Amino acid sequence: MAAAIFSIMIVLLLLGFPMMIPLIAGALVGFVTLFGGLGQLETMIQQMMAGIRPASLIAVPMFIFAADIMTRGQSAGRLIDMVMAFVGHLKGGLAISTAAACTMFGAVSGSTQATVVAIGGPLRPRMQKAGYGDSFILALIVNASDIAFLIPPSIGMIIYGVVSNTSIAELFIAGIGPGLLILVLFAIYSWAYAVRNGVPTEPRASWGERLRAVRAALWPLGFPAIIIGGIYGGIFSPTEAAAACVLYALILETLVFREMGLRDIYRTAKSTGLITAVVFILVAAGAAFSWVISFAQIPQAILSAAGIDQMGQIGVLFAISIAFFIGCMFVDPIVVILILVPIFAPVVADVGLDPVLVGTLITLQVAIGSATPPFGCDIFTAIAVFKRPYMEVIRGTPPFILILLGVSVALIFFPQIALFLRDLAFPGEAG
Amino acid sequence: MVYVSSLPGVLGTFDAAIARVESALLAAGVLLMALNTVANVVGRYLFQSSLFFTEELNRILIVVITFAGISYAARQGRHIRMSAIYDSLPSRARKILMIVIALTTAVLMFGLCWFAAAYLLTQAGRGRVLPALQIPVWTTLVIVPIGLFMTGMQYLLTAVKNAISRDVYLSTAVLEGYDDDETEV
Amino acid sequence: DTWRYAFEEALDEVQGIYAQKFKEEIEANTDHEIQLFPYGTLGESADIMEQAQDGILQFVDQSPGFTGSLIPEAQVFFVPYLLPQEPETLASFFENSKAINEMFPKLYADQGLELLTMFPEGEVAITTKEPFKTPEDLDEVKIRTMTNPLLVESYKAFGATPTPLPWGEVYGALQTNIIQGQENPMFFIESTKMYEVTDYVTRIGHNNFTTAVMANKDFFEDLSDEDRQAIRDAADAAFAHIIDYQKGLTEASVEKIREAKPSMTFTTLSEEERQPFRDAASEVEAKFLEMTGDSGKEILDQMKEDLKTAEDATQS
Ligand code: NA
Ligand code: NA
Repeated sequence: MAAAIFSIMIVLLLLGFPMMIPLIAGALVGFVTLFGGLGQLETMIQQMMAGIRPASLIAVPMFIFAADIMTRGQSAGRLIDMVMAFVGHLKGGLAISTAAACTMFGAVSGSTQATVVAIGGPLRPRMQKAGYGDSFILALIVNASDIAFLIPPSIGMIIYGVVSNTSIAELFIAGIGPGLLILVLFAIYSWAYAVRNGVPTEPRASWGERLRAVRAALWPLGFPAIIIGGIYGGIFSPTEAAAACVLYALILETLVFREMGLRDIYRTAKSTGLITAVVFILVAAGAAFSWVISFAQIPQAILSAAGIDQMGQIGVLFAISIAFFIGCMFVDPIVVILILVPIFAPVVADVGLDPVLVGTLITLQVAIGSATPPFGCDIFTAIAVFKRPYMEVIRGTPPFILILLGVSVALIFFPQIALFLRDLAFPGEAG
Repeated sequence: MVYVSSLPGVLGTFDAAIARVESALLAAGVLLMALNTVANVVGRYLFQSSLFFTEELNRILIVVITFAGISYAARQGRHIRMSAIYDSLPSRARKILMIVIALTTAVLMFGLCWFAAAYLLTQAGRGRVLPALQIPVWTTLVIVPIGLFMTGMQYLLTAVKNAISRDVYLSTAVLEGYDDDETEV
Repeated sequence: DTWRYAFEEALDEVQGIYAQKFKEEIEANTDHEIQLFPYGTLGESADIMEQAQDGILQFVDQSPGFTGSLIPEAQVFFVPYLLPQEPETLASFFENSKAINEMFPKLYADQGLELLTMFPEGEVAITTKEPFKTPEDLDEVKIRTMTNPLLVESYKAFGATPTPLPWGEVYGALQTNIIQGQENPMFFIESTKMYEVTDYVTRIGHNNFTTAVMANKDFFEDLSDEDRQAIRDAADAAFAHIIDYQKGLTEASVEKIREAKPSMTFTTLSEEERQPFRDAASEVEAKFLEMTGDSGKEILDQMKEDLKTAEDATQS
């Protein structure tokens, strides 16, 4: 059954069907095969509804809305001008700033999709103007946003922690090392890209110009204050911070900068709704598809055939990486964690692996999977927001994926990348 | 650009009216969601009392946005697809393939609409209510079959449009080519 | 045949332990096989319940608290201080209660479900960032509750600010101090690492988390007498196993938490200190009756009677 489903999905995908159709068809074939007819398709609807139910998804339309208001108005431009005043003269400065901003925003917001929109939205046009190729920009935004999975707070780590009975606090700390390593590697690649493609730099801004840029950005600096201060300061949950940003953006652009009127707000809200719908129908269809995979116990069948219980530590880590990587190519990461973690748990315990290391590795694979074709929420979000064709969004990904896979392998052979900070913070757990 | 239905006569008026309703639902859904979420924060800090229904209301709004939105997106030709192979085909083959895609999608949407309606009736029969708002669950799902049906209609009309006109259309209103901004409603 | 059984917790949590025992019994005594689906693998609580009603799943474990949207009377399990606190009294209560063994099965049958058993999962404890002993101490303390009117009412009556929040956000919200407390059974506080983000565990004895295992009714009735009996026996064996398993489970969880976080403070309020919380229960009862009417009153009265019977039987 699994082979039939995947073939149908790939064929429909390649023929150019709307992306929801391969997912719906895959789920449909699964339901019909499992239950011998159309009798249980109500459950398919139920699971589609379940897919768009998680409260954390609310942050996505909220950040899309806020970012759209900021970009149509003046807020985003002023913030970027300020950054450019400091890094514009450096080779690859803007790209590196974008990667860093994605990582930081993703870290606090906890949503990679929201990051694609909130940081990518305003920065992409500026990077294009600066001379970066669009495929590079899109791939950078999508992949840098996914570093957010590794930097606390991380919903993937919370779920892994609960399912595998592992300290979430330790997982959070262990994610920081690999997360920063990836950021550094992305920065190096961005620099290399800028050098090789001769992306021009701006003249170094004087301190007077920098001061002026900071002053112009004073109001918009309220956004990072709301997001970082609000969330770490315990005033908002990430979702609420997103909604607060919407409110702040509306006030800034209508009352302070007087850049937008009621009609603009209506249009922006509508366009936000449209983007949300286009992405969420895929989340919904993906949930129905995931249910089929889970109900039919397909992963269990594949993994028991692979003989995971006869591998050593390194073998198990590779098996885990590959299983999660492939799983996340087709299925929602959270569901992959819920299904696969219990399957691997006995083996992980048998060979004596540190569950924190395993959790970090899994989170890394989940991050890679979300940015890896064919199915990835962050890819979908980028397509919907930037209105670029699928192939264009993913064309620039291979170097980033290579870096991410390199870090995975490094993590397997040098667990200290993750465990170093953990052992510092939790001395009792070492060894 | 203002959305002008390409359908003739009364049908066109009707189509344009539906488009307006969908876009109003989208905008209102997003604005309400922001308001609802902020109000909860305000309630928590100023009045020491969370709005007990915030989470449920947001869940309802996300369903409204998604299912009003898929039809609107179909109308605007905005659904995500991987068109690399499709784009490399000659125009006649593209047209045929587009008709096949639109018809298949329409059939699947009508099918889902049917089962969504059945699911809704089952929910109504079971009498489940939302724990905080205490309203029947089925009422929050009414938009689902409607949205699926309207999406099916859009794809059906796209197939017809492609069959009767010379160019290749992504939707009844949008010609091929990804760069077009959405038309205003 | 292959039967499917979904529950709301992980495999090594209480519902999972029960399910594993049930599976073991069925597979030993019949030629059927059971596939287990832990939390989230087939959807949330409401989803697996519906799948059981549709017959896609043969067995489902759903806590009555979550069943409230379907069977309002099931929310009686959220009325504070209604269940006994002594483990033996509690076991006897669940085994002999007329409300549980005679009244609830009818309500579940109306929803196409065969109620196999209800069992306790452990005393609900409250974890907070600051210590408390009285309702006054809870003033302006935001405690996360499930989105349920009776729980919200309970914590209002306890003097706190109940804050409904999706479970996925609780850990983060405690870490950043958006909320200052939450409630759960001790094993769950341990397994979900709630102790990492709070400092005090207080037992006010207001509730014992209860769950229920059901079979799809059509499936159950179409079985042979033998299979039906095998299922009943397996449910009984698993019930005995889970009551036994829970002896000392709370203490073991406390030990694990202490080991992981020595600074964690555990407090059990005395009967006297509990009185003001106990007094608050009447407001919640009133709310329950308002929501469920006569049929709710019947269940509530019977539960109280059963409680008394259980206490008399085990404490003499
Ligand atoms: Na994060
Ligand atoms: Na993917």
